[in-house]
Amino acid sequence: MKKYQLGEFEEVVMLTVGILYKDAYGVSIKKEIEIRLKRGVSVGALQTALKRLEDKGYLKSFEGEATEERAGRPKKYFQITALGKKAMEHIKSTRDELWSAIPKVAWEVKIV
Amino acid sequence: MNLKHSSKHPPTFFLKFFRWFCHPKLKDSIEGDLMELYQERRAENGKLKADLKFVRDVLLLFRPSIIKPIEGYQNLNNYGMIKSYFAIGWRNILKYKVFSFINVFGLAVAMSVCMLIILMLADQKSYDQFHQKKNNIYRVLTKIPKSLKPNASSPFPLASSIKSDYPIIADATHLVPGIGGDAIYQQKASEMRGFFADASFFDVFSFELEKGNKQNALSLPQSMIITTEIAHRLFNGEEPIGKTVEFINRGLSHLKVDGEATPSNWGIFTITGVIDAQKYKSHIQFGVLISSSTIKSLAVDGKFKDMTDNWQEYSNCYSYVLLHPESKSEDLTTALNDLTARKYKDNAELKNLKLVGQNLMDITPGIFVGNPISFSLPIEVYYFLSFLALAIMLSAGVNYTNLSTARALTRAKEIGVRKVTGARRKDLIFQFLSESILISFLSLVLAMILLLFVKPAFKGLWVNNYLNFELHENSTVYFYFILFALLVGLLAGIYPAFRLSRLQPILAIQKKESVPSKKWGMQKFLSVSQFIVSLFFITTSILLYNQFKHHLAIDYGFNAKQIVNVKLQGNEYSKVSNELSKIPGVASISACDYLPATGTQNNTALKIAGSEKDYLGVTVLVTDEKFMETLELKIIAGKNLPDSSRAHNRFILLNESAIQKLGYQHPSEIVGELMEQHGSKEMVEVVGVVRDFRFRMPSEQEVIAPIMIHNRPSSFRYANLKIISNDRTETIARLEEAWRKLDPMHPLDYQFYDEQLAETNQGFVDIVSIIGSFAFLAITIACLGLLGMATYTTERKSKEIGIRKVMGAGDMSVALLLSKGFLKMLLVSIGIGAPFSYFINNLWLQHFPNRVEFGFGTVLLGIVVLLGLGLITIGSQTFRASKRNPVESLKSE
Repeated sequence: MKKYQLGEFEEVVMLTVGILYKDAYGVSIKKEIEIRLKRGVSVGALQTALKRLEDKGYLKSFEGEATEERAGRPKKYFQITALGKKAMEHIKSTRDELWSAIPKVAWEVKIV
Repeated sequence: MNLKHSSKHPPTFFLKFFRWFCHPKLKDSIEGDLMELYQERRAENGKLKADLKFVRDVLLLFRPSIIKPIEGYQNLNNYGMIKSYFAIGWRNILKYKVFSFINVFGLAVAMSVCMLIILMLADQKSYDQFHQKKNNIYRVLTKIPKSLKPNASSPFPLASSIKSDYPIIADATHLVPGIGGDAIYQQKASEMRGFFADASFFDVFSFELEKGNKQNALSLPQSMIITTEIAHRLFNGEEPIGKTVEFINRGLSHLKVDGEATPSNWGIFTITGVIDAQKYKSHIQFGVLISSSTIKSLAVDGKFKDMTDNWQEYSNCYSYVLLHPESKSEDLTTALNDLTARKYKDNAELKNLKLVGQNLMDITPGIFVGNPISFSLPIEVYYFLSFLALAIMLSAGVNYTNLSTARALTRAKEIGVRKVTGARRKDLIFQFLSESILISFLSLVLAMILLLFVKPAFKGLWVNNYLNFELHENSTVYFYFILFALLVGLLAGIYPAFRLSRLQPILAIQKKESVPSKKWGMQKFLSVSQFIVSLFFITTSILLYNQFKHHLAIDYGFNAKQIVNVKLQGNEYSKVSNELSKIPGVASISACDYLPATGTQNNTALKIAGSEKDYLGVTVLVTDEKFMETLELKIIAGKNLPDSSRAHNRFILLNESAIQKLGYQHPSEIVGELMEQHGSKEMVEVVGVVRDFRFRMPSEQEVIAPIMIHNRPSSFRYANLKIISNDRTETIARLEEAWRKLDPMHPLDYQFYDEQLAETNQGFVDIVSIIGSFAFLAITIACLGLLGMATYTTERKSKEIGIRKVMGAGDMSVALLLSKGFLKMLLVSIGIGAPFSYFINNLWLQHFPNRVEFGFGTVLLGIVVLLGLGLITIGSQTFRASKRNPVESLKSE
């Protein structure tokens, strides 16, 4: 079923937004991903993903405060929507189903 | 925040770049992120690394989802709206087929004429584009104070003098006309016309030689460059370079008009070059170029005029100068003024002469010049034609404006609904303009098709024999067509667009009938002016046609019927006459130097010997004694010229007009008088008086001028053969056969005199057909407009008609009621237009020689045509409406 479409990076972004809860905006999301997953994230890739997720209705955004280090530009905070939550749950459950479907033997072979 | 005030800012260029490309909705927050990251990195890793990372981030942000859309972010649905406008426009076109047809057809007809003029101008502009230094080449014109138009020619020594004396001139060359005759190679002859040119010719102009070396092709005397066409005729595929030909000059004009001089042998010439003249579209047209150094030796033998230091004469040479790229045309003006000041300082007669530079690019189309190097329409003609075409275009545009404005009522609801749902006035204007542009582009397509028919008709005009219009379309021309269509659409649509968009929605939806003007004030005014213009054109073309017929029917005073004029082409008349008179069917044969009433004439001045009176200007015609018999010219006093074989220059004939001008009452009184000829010491004796006949074209002069006729066999150019046989073709065949024996080199060149006389009126035919077609267009468009209005009115009034008919009105009375307004309009147009066209046409007719009677008959005929067409147009609608069953119109709704 193609009901919920979520790419790998998009999923990571969604999860991070969830982790950061009320403090999820561009820079904090980027840092969080970089620290937790130890991979570099470019602003361009992140913003594209955020925009796409917002367009799909998985995230919603609101403008926050402007600080001096941001040269007076407002922060754009993101929040997971109900639809976003469903999509994430859907993905998690499909993953879990797949996990549980793997026979134990498969793992043993790998250990040997 | 201002970047300049922040001491720690990232690379400005990239920041600006980011701001430029980023979607405005994302810009602020992303920029904030970037700045925050930048400050952090700068604190951690230093400026350089932070800068680099910033640049990397910006570049990676440059991706489709971040970049702002090209069509603008705010009106993202603009495209859809425009599409809807065109869809609605298209549906409106289909819904109101009659109106759309009237609009599209009217605009297309007018457009095709305008497009023809665009084509003509483009054709003219394409001349001389191949010269590499075209922008720095100037032709020198000579302005004589007493003459209105400047001469294309200039004094002979000018080119060499200006080249050596003024450093701003890079090069200069001249072309000397006067070459026109036959080149003979192994018994084969080819007629050619052209110029003397010097070696600089190829430096100034960018003509290339097919064969031969252009560096030295024109250096040596007796060198000749011919065109590939002539080379093929003479040498038939053999290598032409280095071949020698004999050249016999017959004094043919470079302009390809008639006129010949006594043949003179210019000697042997070497072919040094072959040029493919067909390849070059230039205002300079030639079949042959001869090195100017040849002039000197010809002058020594007296075969050509030596003009080396002749600053007096300015009509026998065309000078072209090439300026250095950095020089300006003002420099040339200064140089020319300085030169004239030096050369004409002491010359009382030519003191006010002025030499002016004319850029090569301004020659075609250019101002009207005298003594042109080739025929072309002067720019004034284009102004005139453009004026006519624009008048027609305006008329068609007015139709569109009229009909669209009138239809406000039908569209009122649509406008109201649009306004209520939030359309701004701007949007409505845009919508109506897009509709008018749609119409104008449809017209453009139709106009292109019409142009396919208009173009050959135009090229078929007689005058095109001399002007060589090719009228090729190319991408530039198409670009102008599209631009033109766009402009027409905008201009025609702008008034209705503003007018319709002004409607108040509430009124529009309530359908208050008072909203669009019921009076049609503006429309009536415009329509009346269309009909006035149409009436003027119709009257003018009828008048011109009458004038043309009048000229054709004019009594020349001699009998041109059954006369064949044969060009002698350098052959001796006595030989020709001997051979040709033997042919059965030739009743008589005579000779003359030019044909009377075909546009040529020579002049001299006479006075009675010993008289104190001033000389009387007279035309001179050279004929033999049989000429009077052939043309049936009557001798009313004295006797005919003496026999050709005993011919003597001493004896002349005069016409009645000359006798009167010289102060004699009776023709017989002058017979035997001695006359002095201006500039000649020999006396001439009047032996007879000939009845007046026309020797000038009817359009040239009304009153018959004085003429003297004398006999000088060396000047004969034409043989006049009176044919009595009824079988023209057979006689001509015999003539050709006899001619082949007589002169194997030239083909027989003959024409029937009556046809030749009719041909002199060909220019008239052209004008009649041009004005006539404009008249046709004007009336067509005016009638289309009327048709539109009539259709609309009858449609609007269908209920009224129904009710009237139910109440008992007859078909006829209803039709009359509907037509009344339009009839009034037509009558007003006639009331204004008839006196107007009578008055205007009289203005030019007054100055016309041999004018036709211009009475009320002509105007009346114009009125009848206009009224007839107008009535048919109105009647077609009103009668149809009045015949309709009233039930149909009443049962609806």
